[in-house]
Amino acid sequence: MGPEGAPLRLEIGRPHEGLRVVRQPPPAGAASFSATYFAPAGWGFDPAGVEGTARLLNQVMASATQRLDRVQLARRLDRSGATLSHAISPEAAEFTIWGPADEWRPLLGLLAEVVRLPRYDPEDIARVRRQLLERQLRELTQPASRANSELLKLVYPPAHPYRSTGLGTRRSVERLDRARLERFHREHYTADGAAVVVTSAASLSSVERSIRGVFSFPSKSKPAHLRFPRLRARSPERRVLDLPGQSQVEIRLGGPSIPQDAPAYTAAYLGNEVLGGRPLQSRLFQRIRARNGLAYHASSDLDTMRWGGIWTAQAGTGPDRWRRVVPMLEAEVGRLRRELVPQRELSATRRSTVGAMQLALESTAEAHGLAVDVAYHELPADYLLRWPARLRSVRPVDVRAAARLAFDQNHSATIVAGPVGPV
Amino acid sequence: MVHRTGARPRLTRFRLANGLRVVLAPEAASPTSSVWVWYRVGSKNEHPGITGASHWVEHMLFEGSPRYGKGEIDRAIVGVGGELNAFTDTDFTAYYSTVPRDYLRIPLDIESDRMTRALIEDREVERERTVIHSEREGNENWPEFRVDEELNQLAFRIHPYRWEVLGHRVDIERLTAEELREYYHRYYGTRNAVLVVAGGFAPRDVAREIRRRFGRLPPSGHDVAVRETEPPIRGERRAELTGPGTTPLLEMGWRSPALHDPKTPATMVLDTILGGDSRLFSAGGGWGRGAEHPSSRLYRALVDPGLAVRATSEWRPREYPGLFTVHAQAARGVPLDRLEEAIDAEIVRLTRTGPSRRELEDVRTKVRRGAALAYEGASRIGFRLGYFATVGSIEFEDELMRSLLRVTADQVQDRAKDLFRPDGRVVVRFTPTEANGGS
Repeated sequence: MGPEGAPLRLEIGRPHEGLRVVRQPPPAGAASFSATYFAPAGWGFDPAGVEGTARLLNQVMASATQRLDRVQLARRLDRSGATLSHAISPEAAEFTIWGPADEWRPLLGLLAEVVRLPRYDPEDIARVRRQLLERQLRELTQPASRANSELLKLVYPPAHPYRSTGLGTRRSVERLDRARLERFHREHYTADGAAVVVTSAASLSSVERSIRGVFSFPSKSKPAHLRFPRLRARSPERRVLDLPGQSQVEIRLGGPSIPQDAPAYTAAYLGNEVLGGRPLQSRLFQRIRARNGLAYHASSDLDTMRWGGIWTAQAGTGPDRWRRVVPMLEAEVGRLRRELVPQRELSATRRSTVGAMQLALESTAEAHGLAVDVAYHELPADYLLRWPARLRSVRPVDVRAAARLAFDQNHSATIVAGPVGPV
Repeated sequence: MVHRTGARPRLTRFRLANGLRVVLAPEAASPTSSVWVWYRVGSKNEHPGITGASHWVEHMLFEGSPRYGKGEIDRAIVGVGGELNAFTDTDFTAYYSTVPRDYLRIPLDIESDRMTRALIEDREVERERTVIHSEREGNENWPEFRVDEELNQLAFRIHPYRWEVLGHRVDIERLTAEELREYYHRYYGTRNAVLVVAGGFAPRDVAREIRRRFGRLPPSGHDVAVRETEPPIRGERRAELTGPGTTPLLEMGWRSPALHDPKTPATMVLDTILGGDSRLFSAGGGWGRGAEHPSSRLYRALVDPGLAVRATSEWRPREYPGLFTVHAQAARGVPLDRLEEAIDAEIVRLTRTGPSRRELEDVRTKVRRGAALAYEGASRIGFRLGYFATVGSIEFEDELMRSLLRVTADQVQDRAKDLFRPDGRVVVRFTPTEANGGS
């Protein structure tokens, strides 16, 4: 790995027209490089009535550029043995390019082209629209997708940015046209509020220079901010959806959570690892699968974003077993909020979490993921280096206090979706 | 000087007296070490009545031995920040753990123990039965799984490739702990295994450690060759399925050569031209086919004109002749007949005119460039070396690559003519019942 922990020590560059620049040294000897651009362009920013805009645009942008149609872009990537991926969340949209280390400069240029100069080919728009419409149907019929989307609808009020999965409705997606996509692109894919993260052996000054050469945005609009309607306290709610003909029942228990910059974040992170985040060893896995054999998957997630978060505890089980599994999920979340995690369990979880950092340094792609996370949340350059110390400072009492905030059951809901029979 | 990752590392290879093959792939700078044990045992070694046994044994090998009590294997690896898992296929089962490099001895100890000493206790088998049911049920929620299962059942009447790795529901219901123990003791052992260690370690020390831990195991593992030979398909076979879903699905399959058949390279090129990616030599590495490939023929023929939302081909080379498949998911409102016509037309075009020079060049570029970064990270190295060592030899990767780069347009065209015989295909069509909004 060269200098100890090199990929954990990030360098923050000088912003270019407001665009933040972060450079991460790669794992020693790495033959690949990776770069990500992200911007506040998630589906939480979808204009009313044309929901699905952000997702559709994100996918259309990854299809082609003004210079390269979709076949040419695919060939260009193949020529380098590179890949281009895209992702979107309620808050942000991102594009990542990965390829040979010695081609980092032209590939960074290609990333900039994808971000700055979408092609808006009518065929691409039509194709992506068809794919979104199909995914909307999938969200209705597939138990896991259905449970996820119903949970969000129950816990968040209308107009809340986290309430949807960004797929829009049939009507809203059919309404989308090039003009609307261009407007969204102009307003959201700007330098302000965005960043480029590069994992490469190239020096920070080289990276800065390259970024200055290829990333320039005509639009100077200020980054948009999401608006969050107030959440009202209410009793936990349970909804059971019968999806006849399916085999497995999917259960989701969850609710709003804390943002990543909350003081309780580190303790909440460990709390989630104890509850269901750490594979095989978590309480949910142990109780539901290992001891009782009731489900193939049982886990929890703590998805902390910039302005808020979402927690979920989930399991997939047979139609005759879900009534036993739901109380187990609820009980384990309640236990984490109510009782102190035994010191031994917390120490084991902490040791495991610290050790897992090394696994994230195996390859450029994995190390890069950590750097993007740090950059997105505007954390200090030495955040990853200090992460183990932060974990070590967490006490059982901190986990309990954090769990009360991060696994808030007062705004939670439970969704059961699958072949449950007449409800 | 630091070795550049991405290319295959320098290897140390040896075989123990008990038959265990060992491959060491040191990467001095790697912060992790990855231990893989590949068994040449998979669903091909099952028979009706015990289908799903390999997969079930895979689960049970995490459930305890005299040395590691229930849950202790997971605790030992996860406790130091490592990760572990396993997967079962038709031709093999692989177990792996990746740990921070200082803890390499833990997975070596675990693998040497569970190679022959897993307990597979009655009580644990009963508890796991519902877990395996649940895994299968989760898959059944996806119409693609049902279509795939049906296609294999139609295509094979004799060969064990006809059932899913998860096994038939009825067999999951009835398999006994005794049968699983018998299956385990029959096939799992040194003679049918390849041990791969990749990442940060001193090869001499680790070789000594391996000799000490694995060298004392008795030679074991019965012959895993499959004797059944599937006769050719004479006349198209079809099935229509219905169930919950979104838009109609179509899957077609043709019997394809085994991995070591001389026709394999041209078949792989065919797959890359139709589906857009080379399964064993794609950028990003790995086993599955991920992103869309707009330059592929099926994409251009089906997705571009709005007939399908997804379309690809898939050929996973196997130890015995398997299936070359084409999958498509219709766009809303497009009937399956229309989709089928479009696929037929594309296949006819390929058989009549073969690939263009440019298509062939594109395939060569993809293969060459995809392979260049295939060995980055200890876990990927362990996967890739283990795969090739299990299905043949590590040199086989080089031979295959060389052959792939030499395939000519005529060979691809001949291959297409030979493969895509209309009277030798199987077709499964899935029509969703009305989209159910739930009650």
